[in-house]
Amino acid sequence: MSGGTPSTFEFLGLTFNVGNMISILIACAVVLGLVYALSRHLTMKPGKGQNVLEYAVDFTNGIVNSSIPGATSKFLGLWGFTLFMFIIIANLEGLFLHIDVSGVAYVKSPTSDPVVTMTLSLMTMTLAQFLGIRKLGYKGHFENYLKPFVFFLPINLFEEFTNFLTLGLRLFGNILSGEMLLGIIVGMAHGGPVIWIGAFILELVWTGFSVFIGCIQAYVFVTLSSVYISRKIELED
Amino acid sequence: MFSYSIVGAQLYVGDMLFVMLSFLVLMWLIKIIAWKPITKMMQNRSDKIASDIDSAKESRTKAAELAATRQAELQKTREDANRIINTAKQNGQQQREKIVEDARNEASNLKSSAEKDIEQQRQEALANSRKDVASLSIEIATKIISKELNADDQKGLVDSYIEGLGKQK
Repeated sequence: MSGGTPSTFEFLGLTFNVGNMISILIACAVVLGLVYALSRHLTMKPGKGQNVLEYAVDFTNGIVNSSIPGATSKFLGLWGFTLFMFIIIANLEGLFLHIDVSGVAYVKSPTSDPVVTMTLSLMTMTLAQFLGIRKLGYKGHFENYLKPFVFFLPINLFEEFTNFLTLGLRLFGNILSGEMLLGIIVGMAHGGPVIWIGAFILELVWTGFSVFIGCIQAYVFVTLSSVYISRKIELED
Repeated sequence: MFSYSIVGAQLYVGDMLFVMLSFLVLMWLIKIIAWKPITKMMQNRSDKIASDIDSAKESRTKAAELAATRQAELQKTREDANRIINTAKQNGQQQREKIVEDARNEASNLKSSAEKDIEQQRQEALANSRKDVASLSIEIATKIISKELNADDQKGLVDSYIEGLGKQK
């Protein structure tokens, strides 16, 4: 995020950002490796790794089940777990490893790019619409936009759009600002040995805070997604 | 072509596809690697815990029942033992009394029969002596009558009689 143009290439008429792709692949690989390592030797009496994994599963299941009651949440449990793991690892990725080559970031938090977060947000909204139609049927689903009065149609549509926008931009903004400030602190450190020590302490504090922010934002993203989905699968009065 | 501006960043449609695809693949892989086994294990565990709780409850009630029956049987056995001891005591008492009674009866029987015997023997002895006296008198009378009443004869008779007496003794 040093302001340089990212390295891109075109394939089948679509533009790809190499930095994003590498970061996403790393995040996916870390999540997969973590889950794979923790899920070996599953036993009835859980060991250390299994306990951690079960705690994570229980945690995300708790988030999803608290807002979405009933039968649909079996698939949604997996969805919430994957989303949470992916976002939290993606948030923390840029704090541990940030590779810039001549101003182009190749490894960073993928969630510090609005394209990634808006895509996740779009997926959530699509899933909400899909589950809403599957649960209530087309008629029930689209009638929800006319409630409580017909005049609420534009407001409801607008709300749908703002939900989509805020869900993605909240995550993006939090992570981007964290990374940006880290970059500025690192830039400050070039000033001299005294400033270097000061910047080191500041960097330490800010990294800790960013870890905190990253975890909170992952939780918030999954929670809000569940809430949006739950609002789509029940009939409004 | 898709180069809109969102908050100062470019919109890369390829990236969007890439994120979606990688997310879906990640979800699928997690499902295969961890989700299915872990949820199955958690389900198994909750089932096992539920059944354990049920069976524990069952065995607790069974144990309570067993203890109750044992207590009741113990009580019953104690009562039985008490009854048996009491009966034995009573039997002993009765038997003792009976034995003493029998002994007393026998003793009195023996005593009375002995008295009767003595009485009888006395009577017999009395009767015998009376008979002897009678026959002696008759004999004497015969002897007196058979001899004529002369002095010599009388004297001889008395002598013979006395002689007879001496002989008899």
